[in-house]
Amino acid sequence: MANLLQQLNAEMSGVIESGWRSLVRVGNGEGAGAGTIWHKDGLIITNAHVAAKRVYRGWGRRTSGASQELKVTLADGRDFMAKVLAFDEENDLAALAIEANDLPTIEVGNSWVVRPGQWVLALGHPWGVHGAATSGIVIGKGTSLPEMPPGRDWIALSLHLRPGHSGGPLLDADGKLIGINTMITGPDVGFAIPVDTVKSFLRQALGARSGEVV
Amino acid sequence: MSDVLKQVSDEMAQMVETAGQSVVRVEARRRLPASGVVWSADGLIVTSHHVVERDENITIGLPNGQSASATLVGRDPNTDIAVLRVKDAQLTAPNWAGTDDLRVGHLVLALGRPGQFVQATLGVVSSLGGDISEDAEAVEDVLIMRGFPSFEIPDVPPMPPGGFPMPPMARRSLERAQERAQRAQERAKGRGERRGRRWSQGGSFAGRFEQFVQTDVAMYPGFSGGPLVDAAGQIRGINSSALMRGISLAIPTPVVRRVVETLQSHGRMRQGYLGIGAQPARLTPALAEQFKQETGLLLVSVEPDSPADKGGLLLGDVIIAVDGVMVRTLEELLALLSGNRVGAEVPVLVVRGGQSQELLVTIGERK
Repeated sequence: MANLLQQLNAEMSGVIESGWRSLVRVGNGEGAGAGTIWHKDGLIITNAHVAAKRVYRGWGRRTSGASQELKVTLADGRDFMAKVLAFDEENDLAALAIEANDLPTIEVGNSWVVRPGQWVLALGHPWGVHGAATSGIVIGKGTSLPEMPPGRDWIALSLHLRPGHSGGPLLDADGKLIGINTMITGPDVGFAIPVDTVKSFLRQALGARSGEVV
Repeated sequence: MSDVLKQVSDEMAQMVETAGQSVVRVEARRRLPASGVVWSADGLIVTSHHVVERDENITIGLPNGQSASATLVGRDPNTDIAVLRVKDAQLTAPNWAGTDDLRVGHLVLALGRPGQFVQATLGVVSSLGGDISEDAEAVEDVLIMRGFPSFEIPDVPPMPPGGFPMPPMARRSLERAQERAQRAQERAKGRGERRGRRWSQGGSFAGRFEQFVQTDVAMYPGFSGGPLVDAAGQIRGINSSALMRGISLAIPTPVVRRVVETLQSHGRMRQGYLGIGAQPARLTPALAEQFKQETGLLLVSVEPDSPADKGGLLLGDVIIAVDGVMVRTLEELLALLSGNRVGAEVPVLVVRGGQSQELLVTIGERK
């Protein structure tokens, strides 16, 4: 008879395993980030800063528009070249298309029901480690969070996001997608773009019905 | 599929919502607002001392979105606690609980309200304790703040059997300790000035407190002054990120209660004062056997006309116990003096010339 903690462990593994199916790797020729399968016929969501083209001009690295050489690697190991369907640097979101069908997806949730204190799980490839998981709780959400420029909606997270988590899915205890991992302001504090923002981004970029899950 | 996980997640979110009804925003510094907790529904708010940078023009943000102005009742830098009072505000008092049944490993949440909405982070109790000597620098700060000479605690050779007159080795050790103490005091003076420029209170944050709860909750900006909440939604203490660098410490509810009560009646904490500089020294095997303790406090300075001087304490005395409580380290003595003991006449057990004797000392007040 498993005790409660063992049961918790088993259930967390369950959420992770179902989340893994929709986690992809997005290589931009230089580095790699993560991505999330949104639609079974090849629609993939990632961060604009993952899908951006890197150029070197003078000192340092800049980004300039979407990269034309994005490679998406699925959980089963298949590689695809991706076409950029929509690219929004302001919201840090990009929609990619790959020529694949019947991809495994996870259920898309709603971020307006997210409450501070609830359990969350983030998946990605931190420092290049494939499919790593980190879990924690929601600190808060909204447009006026400490350390963040006001005006954009964020979910603040108490977990360990690292470079390589960007673009990966943020899941709730039901395994539903509630956000896209995007940035950190400290070792213990991460930020995700709420899934509702992703929906409106897709609606705007790809047409009225594309944000809906079919 | 995920019954337990879903339930845990929902319960945590519900708890944040419920306990969050007693968490307020405290606007009393230039930067980001901090957090506070309702102590009682009649208007008392507990927060962190270091986030209350001004004594006037303090605003409290209530859970219902309204604001209320508050006055400062008092502050205690040692425990990093300040008490505020708001008038005519609808407040919900939380369930304050002691920390006796809290155990290392228990899940706890830190709550805060730096903005309009309540926020939360999760962690476990890392340690419960009364000795904050893990961090040498922090300990040094603690000593400096109380005006005690500060130095690395050296290996002092054991007191020779027979006691005084002191053999050369012990005398040299005493002299060295005095020199170190003097140098440390000079260093401390410089440090105090630097501090004064940096923080408006001009004092150090690092406090002296005999009890704390250490957790691994992330202290998100503006969380100082907010509550540490247990799995039952009870408030176990006040979080502060300023008591020790890089470590989340909470001042337990019983200490908060004592501070609130003292501040309410006196407006400030009264810190006991003896007027001595001391360092731990190992006792001889015979004395250690007699008193059942390894070390005592060797007096390396006694200020003239201080309570210790008036009580007859002399340079070179080794304090064994104060008011019947064994003192082995400076921390233990400081803890004794911080417990609102000003004006009390207490017996001090010392070893002088190899003989133990008891002196009566009236504890003064540190000004």
